[in-house]
Amino acid sequence: MDANSIISSLTGKFPEDIYDAEIESDIRTIAKVKPENVVEVCRYLKEDLSFGHLCCEFGVDYPDRNEIEVIYVIGSYEHPVILTMKALLPRDNPEIESVVPVYWNANWYERETYELFGVKYLNHPDLKPLVLPEEMLGEWPLRKDYAGFPNKTARNLV
Amino acid sequence: MDETVGPSEMIVHLGPQHPMMPGPFRLNAKLRGETVVDSEVEMGWIHKGIEKILESKTYLQGITIVDRICYLAAMTNEEAYVGCVEKLAGIEVPERAQYIRVIMEELSRLQSHILGMGEYASFVGFVSMFMYTIRDREDVMSLIDSVTGARVTHSFLRYGGVKDDLPDGFKDDVKYVFGNLRKAIDKYEELYSTDSIYKARTKGIGVLTADVAKDLGVSGPPLRATGVAFDIRKDEPYLVYDDLDFKVCTQTDGDVYARIQVRLDEMRESMYIIEQCLDQIPEGPLFPENTAYGKRSPVMRIPAGEAFHRVEDPRGEMGFYVVSDGSDKPYRVKIRGPVYPTLQTLPPLLKGVPVADIVAIAGSMDTCTSEVDR
Amino acid sequence: MDEVEQTNVEQNDVLDVGYTDVPGTMLTDSNAIADFLKKTKIQDVLNWGRKNSLWFMVNAMGCCGVELLATGMAHYDTDRFGIIPRNSPRHADVLIISGYVTKKYLPALKRVWDQMPAPKWVICFGDCAISGGPFYESYSTHQNVDDIFPVDVFVPGCPPRCEALIQGFVELQKKIEAKKDKGTDY
Repeated sequence: MDANSIISSLTGKFPEDIYDAEIESDIRTIAKVKPENVVEVCRYLKEDLSFGHLCCEFGVDYPDRNEIEVIYVIGSYEHPVILTMKALLPRDNPEIESVVPVYWNANWYERETYELFGVKYLNHPDLKPLVLPEEMLGEWPLRKDYAGFPNKTARNLV
Repeated sequence: MDETVGPSEMIVHLGPQHPMMPGPFRLNAKLRGETVVDSEVEMGWIHKGIEKILESKTYLQGITIVDRICYLAAMTNEEAYVGCVEKLAGIEVPERAQYIRVIMEELSRLQSHILGMGEYASFVGFVSMFMYTIRDREDVMSLIDSVTGARVTHSFLRYGGVKDDLPDGFKDDVKYVFGNLRKAIDKYEELYSTDSIYKARTKGIGVLTADVAKDLGVSGPPLRATGVAFDIRKDEPYLVYDDLDFKVCTQTDGDVYARIQVRLDEMRESMYIIEQCLDQIPEGPLFPENTAYGKRSPVMRIPAGEAFHRVEDPRGEMGFYVVSDGSDKPYRVKIRGPVYPTLQTLPPLLKGVPVADIVAIAGSMDTCTSEVDR
Repeated sequence: MDEVEQTNVEQNDVLDVGYTDVPGTMLTDSNAIADFLKKTKIQDVLNWGRKNSLWFMVNAMGCCGVELLATGMAHYDTDRFGIIPRNSPRHADVLIISGYVTKKYLPALKRVWDQMPAPKWVICFGDCAISGGPFYESYSTHQNVDDIFPVDVFVPGCPPRCEALIQGFVELQKKIEAKKDKGTDY
């Protein structure tokens, strides 16, 4: 189970959904995925290629390309290869399917990406804010054009 | 969690200010009589927005901020960030600096386990053990203080090396402290394994099986207590861990007693690793020669790209993902804390459990709320 | 954040007993007695008793919480000064704000402060409670805590050493003895 065989079996099974697959070293691989079929790809990864450990899932904001990327970093308990999958979404209305039916601990990662970037997850069991107070929902603080940062109210600075 | 209440049921909110030490979080529990029917964990009471702050600081200023993510084991946070940026820029660390980094991280792991184990004893009512462990922890803190200058948040690592060398007489100090500490750990183990009240409160409580733990994404001592030998120091070695000889401590029961036993064994392995490092450490420079980073310049430009680096924290697997666009500040930093999945396992584990065991189970996971909220 | 929920837990109204004079006696209430005693020498004896047994409330919020815990235990013993940690706000005299206060946590902290019975004092421990610390630019922390609580002693450092907290308590004791503290009305 090394990086070459993983990438070739993945591109062989999903020829239209996976594109731009690369191998960076013998334990790091990267690929881009179309946002419509993310759940199918994740199910194949978990059951056939034994990638059963979701390390994290988060978003990156690119205002000059007018896109928000959602990145999945998936590892395994049996072999040391890590796969990084990226899904590109339009910036004005980002929506993607939730992978909670496949990876159980994606629940909190998706709640946090929703409240910090504004990415809507369809069919999520319980999409509500995790770390921000309820009044701050809708401000999407981690986008690059957020007006409330840096905060200049501190007074007793030396 | 469903908020409708049937006959003889009630909902209790525990927190955010509660006597369990590791930080404010709230546990909503629905009780029928004395047993828990359903529960839910709410976070966010100490969210500071570290990921947004790191985007406006240079790489050198970021080291002091990254230190404060999980304050109970500060050195591994720095190692994850510094290692990730070194991967992006292709910086090589000299050997003497690598050995010093391993020594400091194992000392940090030792004091974190002593605190976690002692605090846990105070949750089940064994307050004298807490007093003993806090006093032994002060010896380890004074060792860390003699090298870095600070007790809790150090800012000791730099890109390509470490800030200072070990002081003179460090090896004799370590020998003296570890002689007392080994006897103390043997005494703790004897106190834990022969006390019948403690065993009645911890054996068979909060059982987690290996399949359920792998499904929920758990890592660290709670996973190793179920029998899975997953340790990043052996699976994906970083620094000089593949030259050192140590074993991965596992147990098979998966209950609260097994998790405490795993932490006791890991403390002994940490002391063995530090003694090996002090025997094998070579002489040499602390920074790579003839590079811009070797001159410790404060303005560093890192080439564009992305990298992911993970280390073994005392609580599990800690990872950093850094996106760089070629300037002297990072574009996006994502912090993956080890306790994030472990806290999500509390609602399934607490079903059907009497109220008096909630603190015992939640405390044995050894959570640090600050790295969930960041 | 301007709107903080006010929970008036302590009510000090005068009881209505149904009559206003009883021949041969003088009716008064505890507020008037306390105001009278402040001008006499008995207040010095009361202050001596209060300053030598300051019980503090354990709420560890940030990195300084670890140093708070280490100060109250063996090695940096505070029990020799009469200072012990208590878990319930109804038993405590001193609230130590050890760490950053976020917008989500501020109403809960105010509610804990309202439940503490007078006389009560506040110590700000660490840089984050004084001005925001290393997170002074953050969108989610409340930077100036002394707009809301009447703070007596500021202990700077990130985090301060345990001996600095003991010195902070000693300064508070000196302030109580000189009658210059901001503890709420007795």
